[in-house]
Amino acid sequence: MNPDFQAFVQTLVQGLLTGGIYALVGIGLSLIFGVMRVINFAHGDFLALGMFLTLFLFKTVHLDPYFSLLIALPLGFALGYFIQRFVLSRLGDRLSESSMLATLGLGLIVSNMLLLGFGAQPQTINVPYANNTFTLGGIQVSIALLVAGLGTLVAIVGLNLLLYRTELGRAIRATAQNPLGAELQGVNTRTIQATVFGLGVAFAAIAGVLLLPLLYAYPTVGETFTLKAFVVTVLGGLGNLPGAIVGGLFLGGVESLGSFYISNNYRDAYGLIAFLLVLLLRPEGLFGKTVKRV
Amino acid sequence: MTAIAVKRPRALSFGNLWISAGIIAVLLLYPVFFGKAMNFGVSTVLFAGFAMAWNILGGWAGQTSLGHAALLGVGAYTMTLLAIPERGPAWLHSVGIGSGAAIAPWWGILAGMVLAVLLSLVWGSLTFRLQGSYFTLSSIAVALILRLVAINEDFTGGSQGLFMPDLPTFFGLDLFDRRVEYGLAVGFVVITLIVTHIIRRSRTGYALQAVREDEDGARALGIDPARMKLIAFAISAALTALGGGLYAIYLQAFEPHTLLELPLSVQIALMAIIGGRTSLQGPVIGAVVLAVFGEVFRNLFSSANLLIYGVLILVVTLFAPGGIMGLFSRRGRRLGTAR
Amino acid sequence: MRKLMIVGVVGAVSAMLLVQSSAQTAKTGTIKIGAITAVTGRFAEFGTQQLAGFKVGVAEINRRGGINGQKIELLIEDNASDVNKGLAAAERLANAGVPLVICEYSSSLVKAQAQYLARQKVPALVVTSSGDDITKPGNDYIFRLNQPATEYARALLNIFRDSKFKSMAMVAGTGAFEKSVADAALIFAKQYGIQVVEDQRYDQGLTDFRPVLNRIKSKNPDGVLMVSYAADSVTLMRQAREVGVKPRMFAGGAAGFALPDFIKDAGSAAENVVSATAWIQELRYPGTQKLHVELVKALGGAEPSYHAAQAYAGVIAAADAIRRAGSTDREKVRAALNTTNIQTAFGPIVFTDFDGFKNQNNLTMVAEQVQDGKFVPVYPRSVVPKAIKFERP
Repeated sequence: MNPDFQAFVQTLVQGLLTGGIYALVGIGLSLIFGVMRVINFAHGDFLALGMFLTLFLFKTVHLDPYFSLLIALPLGFALGYFIQRFVLSRLGDRLSESSMLATLGLGLIVSNMLLLGFGAQPQTINVPYANNTFTLGGIQVSIALLVAGLGTLVAIVGLNLLLYRTELGRAIRATAQNPLGAELQGVNTRTIQATVFGLGVAFAAIAGVLLLPLLYAYPTVGETFTLKAFVVTVLGGLGNLPGAIVGGLFLGGVESLGSFYISNNYRDAYGLIAFLLVLLLRPEGLFGKTVKRV
Repeated sequence: MTAIAVKRPRALSFGNLWISAGIIAVLLLYPVFFGKAMNFGVSTVLFAGFAMAWNILGGWAGQTSLGHAALLGVGAYTMTLLAIPERGPAWLHSVGIGSGAAIAPWWGILAGMVLAVLLSLVWGSLTFRLQGSYFTLSSIAVALILRLVAINEDFTGGSQGLFMPDLPTFFGLDLFDRRVEYGLAVGFVVITLIVTHIIRRSRTGYALQAVREDEDGARALGIDPARMKLIAFAISAALTALGGGLYAIYLQAFEPHTLLELPLSVQIALMAIIGGRTSLQGPVIGAVVLAVFGEVFRNLFSSANLLIYGVLILVVTLFAPGGIMGLFSRRGRRLGTAR
Repeated sequence: MRKLMIVGVVGAVSAMLLVQSSAQTAKTGTIKIGAITAVTGRFAEFGTQQLAGFKVGVAEINRRGGINGQKIELLIEDNASDVNKGLAAAERLANAGVPLVICEYSSSLVKAQAQYLARQKVPALVVTSSGDDITKPGNDYIFRLNQPATEYARALLNIFRDSKFKSMAMVAGTGAFEKSVADAALIFAKQYGIQVVEDQRYDQGLTDFRPVLNRIKSKNPDGVLMVSYAADSVTLMRQAREVGVKPRMFAGGAAGFALPDFIKDAGSAAENVVSATAWIQELRYPGTQKLHVELVKALGGAEPSYHAAQAYAGVIAAADAIRRAGSTDREKVRAALNTTNIQTAFGPIVFTDFDGFKNQNNLTMVAEQVQDGKFVPVYPRSVVPKAIKFERP
């Protein structure tokens, strides 16, 4: 293979795998927005929570990070369910702005509790496979990154099955489209909303678990990912799930190729500028004329 | 939500004026009792001013910005760049303006305010088409892009930031003297209070409230919501830049990593909202309460200094939408819940 | 009811304020020296090291009978890693009448603090913060005993030059320290005739260095210089191995690469990485070994970093200046600092003016390499360097 082309493919592949993680983070945010019209400012902080849970389990009982998925998933769901059911739902029908501020507060509480509990210094775990790579047709791929990408795929397929193949999924979609109508059909929208928030938080926590072998955890790590999630969901259209997936891959690819071919200095700006342009010119997202919600 | 909940306030509310006067009196008395904690005093009073300035957009126009650190930065950077002869003035001289000598901080701050107003007009006319949370998201994005410019470009001093070795005296006063800085900071708060009082009694104020409560209703009354929000943003930007200039003098040396970060914008917004965005002096109260709380529990929470912001904003959104001031006035509480 | 509650809270808060202020009145009869460090917050990791260094320094001075028979005591204030809290801490120390204040880690905090202290005519002794602009242009009241950022670049580029490298690539963070080191490295590279084939800067919070590393890989440079935030040193090395960058040498120009945790967290990816550091126990200064032993004890068995040694040296230099001043008068102490000329376990301390620096201790850096999972000194000659291992011939 021609070395220039190989470098291009290598950069693109790695960008898309990183983009997969962005997508996983973005889907949770988009799901919550799609059903409740709330922008969850604490999203990245829930991801940080997943990272620290994995770190804690690894350091105390030497649990392999990927096994902690089995714990992070239910815990994340329960936390999200609880928060929506007993905190956010109390805001009632007030403007979505109040919910936004409440999630902002929740995020600050989570990150500062992590700070008190774990300290500010960045921490990571050293698992044997963290540095392992394999080569496929001259392209090197990190095992941990590939696992994160596959994890994203599994999570997305699982969510899709849940939404389109189960009774609960029907109820969620109904609540997203018309809460009052769903209520009239006998759907308990309060439970549905709590379930959706739980799913969103669980997705963030999973992303955190998958990221820890690759990255450092520190209490404010969530800020970066909250912003990435905003960019991803706005690119794909807020509340548009397939859009969030494409948005994530798109952002990962653009950042990767942008910093390879142009310059790394303004890497974050590429996403932010795309984000602003989409917000201003196509608030419904890059893809699809009509907004397909959930 | 649908009916316009704007009542014409009593012609002149002495109650409100007295509260403002009381706040100014307390601020002026602070150095008498706490003359040994002037750094705390200056930073607290400056943040009270930032919260007041934020509230003209956030409270009166109801647009929650999480990007005000950028406006603060415009004030701080413009003033400082013009005060360092080899930076701003040298560049101006090279394009045929001025003599290349340092430009006094008061002119520098004025220039910063003008730039901030221009920025806010462009920024606002692009983003005020977006409603509610969308505007908030866009404000974060704009501020972060400006932050990247400050970090990556050389004319801003890059990530090492700027350092002001010296400033001329201001009517014979040493600007680096904390007592002088305190006086200027109180002056800044007084200006924000006066501006807010004027807005409250003006047509603009009524129009802003109408827009905040119900944009479509306001439009039906012949009010142009976008124009009203732009006016509020411009005033808010000018005042924030003024405070930014004073903050730069207080710090004397600053880096973009301490001045332009998202948490600073969040802090300013939360101070105002926790204090009470629908009340006139709420932001000052919020800033002072949060700062005193942080200082008293310095040893307990020092590393988690934003924890209290998180807890209070949650409490406020759940139980007291009128903020701290809303608890004291029935009117504030009612206005708050009406939103 | 609500109002009552608020009155109650306000009352409790003011009561606590009173308790706190009375708790701060310290013992009399000792000489009190001010010190600011990050006990909490994002720089707390370095604060822990510095506290250990302070403890060892104070114990040593007092064991030798203090200053003219009077024991010394440090008044340590926490800056909570925040610029405003740091300024408030400096003010409390200035009000407490200390003869000088020892300043801490982050240059973004120290710059504002040192300027404030200088205005109050309180000598500021910087021990760890390395931004060039703290002592350049500097101030009569600001002294620094640790090496400025430029020296990190000098040490590593000297190794590149001595190893006859023709080309290098650089990845650097956008923090003030990172930028100082990176900019200095560019100047040295030009001076030494080393071609810089890649110069990439990245912002805090970046998690994916692969595109940059791919670029570097395609240029195949002799040396790769990484000047990164502490958190990124491990990520960078892991991804460099993953992408398959293979220069003759990886060099890390910042604290993160020299911390014991780097080897622990990066594992095999850390092997052969060379880093510049301010102090190691192998240095041939009098008492270096002993200092290392005592610092380990003060840290409860953990490995000390150079930040601890610098804090120790700060206490020694401060006590020396007060002793020679013969009083705690700030002007006399400042004059004494100007004529400081002592040997410490951290290295010699003389405050001089050179290359635009003012009151700056002129000290060379050392470099160490990770060999078989351990730090081994490789530069300069004075520390009996082992041979440098290269990634490829």
